[in-house]
This record gives sequence, structure tokens and C-alpha cells, in this order.
Amino acid sequence: MQYTFDWSVIWRYRGTLVHGLALTLLLSLAGLAAALAIGMIAGAAGASRRPALKTAALLYVELARNVPLLVHIYFWYLGLSALRLPAFWCGVLALAIYSGAYVAEIVRAGIQSVPSGQRAAALALGLSPAAALRSVIYPQALRITAPSLAGVFSQLIKDSSLASVISVAELTFAAGVIEGDTFRTFEAYITITLLYFLVVTAVSRAALFVFGRRGAEVDRRF
Amino acid sequence: MDFTVIPRNLPYLLGGLGVTLETALLVILGGTAFGLGLGILRTGGPGAVRLLAAGYIEIIRGTPLLVVLFFVYFGLPPVIGYRLSAYEAAVIGFILFIGAYIAEDYRSGVGAVPQQQREGALALGLTPRQAMRHVVLPQAVRQMIPTLFNQFVRLVKFTSVAAVIGVTELTGAALAVNAREFQPVPIIATLAASYFVLCALLSLVGRWLNRRYAIQT
Repeated sequence: MQYTFDWSVIWRYRGTLVHGLALTLLLSLAGLAAALAIGMIAGAAGASRRPALKTAALLYVELARNVPLLVHIYFWYLGLSALRLPAFWCGVLALAIYSGAYVAEIVRAGIQSVPSGQRAAALALGLSPAAALRSVIYPQALRITAPSLAGVFSQLIKDSSLASVISVAELTFAAGVIEGDTFRTFEAYITITLLYFLVVTAVSRAALFVFGRRGAEVDRRF
Repeated sequence: MDFTVIPRNLPYLLGGLGVTLETALLVILGGTAFGLGLGILRTGGPGAVRLLAAGYIEIIRGTPLLVVLFFVYFGLPPVIGYRLSAYEAAVIGFILFIGAYIAEDYRSGVGAVPQQQREGALALGLTPRQAMRHVVLPQAVRQMIPTLFNQFVRLVKFTSVAAVIGVTELTGAALAVNAREFQPVPIIATLAASYFVLCALLSLVGRWLNRRYAIQT
């Protein structure tokens, strides 16, 4: 093995890397928020007793999950090129709709794992169905599903690297730039691997903390 | 919108589909073998090996697939002194990637077999190796069927990423046709539908195997 490392390129290209990291964070956070919103709605629909809602949710989940993320990205970028969406938003939409299906499945399982007596009791106490879902069922479901949700979130951050193929200048794209300029393959990709690792760990810890805590508060109240 | 673009380019697209199927098959076989081996080392190897395996699994699971692929395609050739073709790099990269996930599934599968099963086997006079082979593993593998097929479906989907380094599999072929004909809507729709059918079929096989072989509790 003959390879001399030269880490000075990383410092020279720090601007590119910081910019890439910022875009990765923005892309992931926007995708994450939207995926969570889609997943909460589709998950509740999937757990509902109305056949129409259930079928619609099932159709969405199966269609979104069984198509590669790359095809989702090209769908918005090339398929709907008539819309002229900026590449960044194509990436966000693709990530949100693809990961939203996984979130929906987790939320559905979470809702179904909350004993039905909880909902009945909430309704008996005079809460509207929507309020029962929001203040009684979701807090419990979210805590049960916190580890799986954290898994989807870290997957989403890693998946955001695919946005580089439609030239969103995020972290993987930045590494490609450095590699193309200097041929320092290992230095560039080892650096971004570490950065991804840090971001993924931070976000999954934060997700466990936020959702786990909400559930803990509910526990204390009862 | 001109849907005749699909029949006109059908042989080329089918060629791409063939490459996708071949890649998926190679990676399913290679990845499962590698993943199980890694999982065995991770759970039962000597201390240092266990640590190495755990480190590998954690690093791969924290790295995007695209980055692993770039490592293999651009980084590996100077180290091993052999110029990998894009296709070889894709197959190797996918196996290295999915293996880490399958190893982790193996670990939770073995962990899910009640400890008493192993103790019972040892009490009956089986050696630790025999207890693993005849008692724990058969149960663990049956419990792993759904997760394993989830990984296979994921794997079929992410073979599309090989298009990025220039492999003309299904996605690469579709993009090439689109570059020539510029009919994005029918091409992307067909592409999505093809993957949907492939993944749905694979899920059905997994569900069937699970019904047939899962341990009824």
C-alpha cells in the first residue's frame, strides 16, 4: 500500500466543506420536518377505521417505499422539469415523500400499539377525536416509536447525499469537488464520513431525547 | 408526452434491467454471506476481532451509500493496484455496505432467541458450537426472514445508485434514453413502475417464506 496522506487540503478547502455541511443540515432538517408532517398524517390515516383513508395511506406508503430515492429525486428534477423547481427543493421533496412513507409506517404501528381504552377514555372525558389523537395518543405513540424514528432520521441524513447527483452542493458534492481538484480521495471522503457520523449521532440522540421526554412527561402526569 | 419512447428503446432498457437483476442477485448472495460472517465474528469472535467487526459495522452504518461507493470506486484502485470497472466497484461497494446491516440483523436475531434454549442445549450435552449450529441458529434465521427481506428490498432500490458512477443498469439506461429523447415523464414513470414491481415481488416472496417457515408463537 503506497499512499501518503496530506491533510492540509482539508484546511485549504474548509470553506467548501463548511458550505457543504450547512447545505446537508438544511436539506436534512427541511426533509425531516416535512417527512414527519407527512408521516404523522399518513400514519394516522393508516390506523383509522375508515376504509377510504386506510387505502389511500396504504397506496401512498407502498408507492413511495418501493421506488428508489434516486428515482424520486429524478422524478422531481427531470420528470417535472416543466415546473423548474430549484435542485435543492427537488431534493427536499424527494426526501420528504420517500422517508415520509417510513415515518407513516412507524407512526401507524405506534398508534395501534396504544391501547384502545386510552382513546375511549379520552372521548368519554369530552375530548374531540382530534384532541384525543393530539394530546393522548400521539404522545404515547411517539415515545414507543422514538428509537425507530431516530433510525429513519439518521437514514434520511445519509440519504441526503444523493441530492449531490442533481448538483446540490451538499457535503458529498463538496468532497467530490475537493477530490476533483486535488485527487485527495481518502482525505476528502474520510473527512465527510466523520462529519456525517457526527451529524447522524447528534440528530438521533436529539430525536430520542425530544420524543422520549415528551412521553416521560405524560407518564408523570398520570 | 410520447409513451412510444418506451417500446422504441425497449431492448436497451431491458438490458439495463438485466444488469440491475444481476447486480441485485450478486449482492443478495454476497451481502448475506458477508453479513452473516461478520455477524458471527461480531457476536462470537475473539475480543479484538469482535471489536474490529463492531467498529466496521458502526462506521458503515453511519456512512451514506454513495460515499462508500466513491471510496471503493475512486479510493480502492490505487491501494490494491487494480483498476476496478464501475460495475465491479458497485457490486463490491454494495456488498460491503449491506453486509454491515445484515450483520446487525443477525446479532439481534441471535439475541432474540431465549437464553434458555442455549442453556438447555448445553445441559443436554451439546458443545457450545453444536448448540449454536443446531439450536440457536435455526431459530434465529427463521426470525430473521422479514428483516432480511426488508434489506433485500432496500438493496434492489439502492442498486440504482450505481448509475451515479456510470453503470448502465436500469436507472442508468433510463437516464441515457432520456438524454437522447428528452421524454422525462414516460421514462421516469416506467422506471418507477419497474422498481415498484421488482420490490413488491420480492416482498411477496419474503412474506410467503415467513408464513411458511416462521416459528409460530
